[in-house]
Amino acid sequence: MTAARVRAAFADAGVTGTLHAVDLDHPDRELSVGADDPVVLASVFKIPLLVALHHSDHDLTRRTTLDLDRSTGPTGIGGMLDPVTISLRDLAYLAVTVSDNAAADALVDLIGLDAVNDTLDRLRLERTRIVHRARDFMRTMAEDAAPDAPPSALTDPVVLSRLRALDPDQTNRGTARDLTTLLRHVWQHDDCAPIRRAMALQVWPHRLASGFPFDDVRVAGKTGTLPTVRNEIGVVEYPDGGRYAVAVFTRSASTAFTVPRADAVVGTAARLAVEHLRLSGRPPRTR
Amino acid sequence: MSKSDITTLAISERLSSQLVDLLRHLRHFLAVAEELHFGRAAARLHMSQPPLSQSIRRLERELGVRLFDRDARHVALTDAGRQILTEARGLLAGEDRVRALAGRFRRGEAGSLRAGVPPDLGGRAVAALLPAFRRRSPVELKLREIGTAEQLRALADRSLDVGVLRFPFDVSWLALGPVLTSPLGVLLPQDHPLATAPDVRLADLNGLALVLFPRATAPALHDEVLTTCARHGYTPTEVHQAGNPEFALGLVLAGGAVALHDGVTPPPGVVWRPLRGTPLLWQTSAAWPRDRRTPAVTAFADAVTEVLTAQGMRHAEGTLPRYPRPAAEYLS
Repeated sequence: MTAARVRAAFADAGVTGTLHAVDLDHPDRELSVGADDPVVLASVFKIPLLVALHHSDHDLTRRTTLDLDRSTGPTGIGGMLDPVTISLRDLAYLAVTVSDNAAADALVDLIGLDAVNDTLDRLRLERTRIVHRARDFMRTMAEDAAPDAPPSALTDPVVLSRLRALDPDQTNRGTARDLTTLLRHVWQHDDCAPIRRAMALQVWPHRLASGFPFDDVRVAGKTGTLPTVRNEIGVVEYPDGGRYAVAVFTRSASTAFTVPRADAVVGTAARLAVEHLRLSGRPPRTR
Repeated sequence: MSKSDITTLAISERLSSQLVDLLRHLRHFLAVAEELHFGRAAARLHMSQPPLSQSIRRLERELGVRLFDRDARHVALTDAGRQILTEARGLLAGEDRVRALAGRFRRGEAGSLRAGVPPDLGGRAVAALLPAFRRRSPVELKLREIGTAEQLRALADRSLDVGVLRFPFDVSWLALGPVLTSPLGVLLPQDHPLATAPDVRLADLNGLALVLFPRATAPALHDEVLTTCARHGYTPTEVHQAGNPEFALGLVLAGGAVALHDGVTPPPGVVWRPLRGTPLLWQTSAAWPRDRRTPAVTAFADAVTEVLTAQGMRHAEGTLPRYPRPAAEYLS
């Protein structure tokens, strides 16, 4: 019933999508909409990266310098003009709060993709694999779009149909269920407290958070975006103590960069799912 | 690959090699039976005599019956051999037919192609599509008239081989033919002041309602049309959702509303005017699941391109400038 409503909401927004939602304190209460289908993670990969970092032996207060050969992006250090010296934990903060590609790739270069996948193995998240840094999927997009050039080429459906970065088999991938399992780990483990803080400080209001326009409800999330791909995973916390992990992965029909409805339906779908979990947890009404 | 897959594969490989072996031995038997001479039969089969004799002995062992009486000078069919010869000829002719038919499918010369076309493609285009396909492919074309959303479902569940789809749709699992565009204009009542203008700016339409297809049939396209109208300064006073072209025409004739139309055979009683700068386009292309390209699919995609181009559709040109916002996360 709720799954059908989620699918209808996706269709109405011109997207297809998968979703998994689970009650953090009652993991038997869950909702799945294609939760085991492989999906492209895009920047959601920064959460498995940070989990691996926080379980490593690195001193996160150590400072490192990102020179001008670092990865680029529209936000954070990725968009800055000068060398930056910064602690590892502040890199982690930027990688989540503003999806900073330079910060995330610097952390991958430090711990290595193998360490990230080893962490996923230990958590038994075998359907989630990290094979690319942010700069790698930027590079494959430019290669696959050639001879057309980004950004305009990345709104051409013919170009998009040949991008490896949009094929779960050829880039960072996971499933909605794997990612809520990862969030449960982040919300249970003391080492991961800084990740919870950073996700709660994420700046984007347009996806998961848009579904919960309630001042007394807290939303912590991490988005992932590529052409036609709009994802977010996060945890929604109600003042009555209810805590729900939600992972939403969508692909839009429209190839435009700016599609507000497609962003908003990530929040709408999450709210439908969370309402379902909250109702299923309530004792049956007595006369 | 799971364990059970490997087992199944091994069994089917063994079965198929036994089957091929039997047919090969029967072919050897046929040659010897027709020549009644091992040397001549071996020469005909381009093989030497010892493996041929061995092959016949294996076939006799397999069937549990002697096929030939042989002595130093003569080879003759036994009773069993004579009767088995008739059956063997039938089997081998059957094998030839099976292989020939498989080859025709492999080369895309047999079978049928299930193709979808959108309801608004127009009778003339459908009429031209059939001969254009027949010139390119000998397979039977089964056309179904269904909309984009339904074609996508049918392509996914494999009840359709190829479709003609209107953009936008999720292309992540599809291969596309050339993208063709048709610029849209508007239908106006004959007495409307804009009806005599050579073309119309979208912004000129302010104060008028817009008649559009029902949003539920293609939400993404519906939203893109309204976004483009807004981008060019036109916010309709109201958006009427009309599924039926006659209803859309009625709303235009009643006054106070315009409808979008590609200008190919506009309905009588109203005036079609192009939009200045062609801000609105229908984009169409043939599409099929990436892993299922066949010669017939290629022939259909080529036929669609030919027919729609003849109808006035054009290859998509360079795109507009695009400025991704920071929330795009991956582009700077």
